[in-house]
Amino acid sequence: MIAVNGASKMFRQPRRYSGLGGSIKGFFSREYTQVRAVEDISFAIDSGEAVGYLGPNGAGKSTMIKMMTGILVPTAGSIRVLGRVPHEERMANAREIGVVFGQRSQLWWDLPVRDSFELNRRIYNIADARYRENLGHLAEMLEMTGYLERPVRQLSLGQRMRAEIAMALLHDPKILFLDEPTIGLDVVAKDAVRRFLSQINRERGVSIILTTHDLQDIEQICPRLIMVDDGKLLFDGELGRLRAALGARRRLTLEFASDPGPVTLASARLISDEGVFKHFLIEDETISLVGILGQLGGGHDLKDVAIEEPDIEEVIRTFYQQRPALAP
Amino acid sequence: MYLSIAARAFQSRLAYRSQVWASFFGQTIQILARIAIWTAAYAGTASVEGVSLDDMVTYSILAGTVLAAWYYEALIQDIGTSVKTGDVAVFLLKPIRYPLYLFSSAFGEFAFRITAVVLPVVIVISFIYGLQPPASLFHGLMFASFWLLSFIILFELAATCGLLSFWLLTSFSLTYFLQGVIALFSGSLVPLWFFPPAFEAVARLLPFAWIAYYPVAVYLGQLGVEETLLFFAFGLGWAGLLALGIAMLWARASMRLIVQGG
Repeated sequence: MIAVNGASKMFRQPRRYSGLGGSIKGFFSREYTQVRAVEDISFAIDSGEAVGYLGPNGAGKSTMIKMMTGILVPTAGSIRVLGRVPHEERMANAREIGVVFGQRSQLWWDLPVRDSFELNRRIYNIADARYRENLGHLAEMLEMTGYLERPVRQLSLGQRMRAEIAMALLHDPKILFLDEPTIGLDVVAKDAVRRFLSQINRERGVSIILTTHDLQDIEQICPRLIMVDDGKLLFDGELGRLRAALGARRRLTLEFASDPGPVTLASARLISDEGVFKHFLIEDETISLVGILGQLGGGHDLKDVAIEEPDIEEVIRTFYQQRPALAP
Repeated sequence: MYLSIAARAFQSRLAYRSQVWASFFGQTIQILARIAIWTAAYAGTASVEGVSLDDMVTYSILAGTVLAAWYYEALIQDIGTSVKTGDVAVFLLKPIRYPLYLFSSAFGEFAFRITAVVLPVVIVISFIYGLQPPASLFHGLMFASFWLLSFIILFELAATCGLLSFWLLTSFSLTYFLQGVIALFSGSLVPLWFFPPAFEAVARLLPFAWIAYYPVAVYLGQLGVEETLLFFAFGLGWAGLLALGIAMLWARASMRLIVQGG
């Protein structure tokens, strides 16, 4: 559905100098520096997927989104979205995608939310029945019914972002692009947005591509992760695979009613023994909890079992630290 | 679709009631000042170059209010800001044409200004000074057509300046430039017939003259039937040419935007 092949994007920026003297110099000079925002990136995304595009600030995330939505042309390489070259068939592409920019509003500032939606109905030529059904559904799911009639300028950021997302979905796009949709939102609003996005991805089959530097967005919405830094692709695959590749392992804690003495497990290594509490690091990524308990065997007075997934922040931090070794 | 954009723009303006009042008083005072200046300039003379003081009062009302209904400076500023902040990219994400979008929303504002500001001001001023009726039914109808044409040309000139900010990255100086040129060449301040003949001859051919001078000249019956139609066609030509220019500018601007990232 989306095929990106060796896409690169270079920007030409006038060279700037600091200070007053530098400003004067800059006024007369016509020097440019080449900035490489995206460098030789390839990936393919299937319909119905939810993909997180992750990277630090300035990694080239927004540039990639802009190229996929047809408002930037790649300097080299090719991009196809739904079989089209986005910037060549911008209008046709625009009808089938929805785009939300976390830092840029598409709503009419002075008008009630509903009026912006109405305008979108005209722009995308949405059939009446379909529009009413979508609006009702979205308003309910995003809990917007209370403020549909309020002007956008009076909304909180969380309310506005939900309205932005709803607006991008009114015309039943096949793909929803979101550029940092949770930026600046509080915990509750973030959670509402994440739950909604993963819901429409599962229930309506809308493909989601979102950029973020909030790792939780990815954990909750996107099974697949594309990691970039400095314009280059670092990792493409499932989060679990990234964990496995980095050796970030699950922790197992067993709690016994009474101290059973030393306990050994075939696929987990004991890291600390507090008597009734025993902590293990699971070394076999594929084994299930039942499998591990099988290894424990009977005869123990087991009270509680807990498995902790490694924290995604930690996974990624290790990833960036180990990058030179891992980079393809 | 573009009609509903215009309706939204109209509606947006309604959100600011105090702005309407401010515009109303501002316009009224401006027209009173213009009329006062002409009254002083005529100083009891019955007519200057065949134009009576009553004609000049009507000229002031029409050129200063009716034909200045739409606030074109805002359009240049709007395009300028959206270029600067990158918001213009949002318009590329939707299946709409940006120049047509701008025109629709400008038209919505134009319609709003006419109903909320121009009509009340004209009614109030006419009560005080008296507005002359159009020279004939034909001239009255043609004035309405010229009025619309005036808006289109004014929009096109402003949009051209706005789009130039893609390259110049400043809309402020462009606004100033256009303001000056329009004040001088459109006849909105001083009718072209008071200018030196050589200057008048040139100014009459430039598109600015269709913004204020021709519409009022037609209203006052200064142009005959044939001349009126001829100049209307001439104005349509300018409008077409400018539209072509905007289409080209926009094509290049959007190309630049998607190639260089604005």
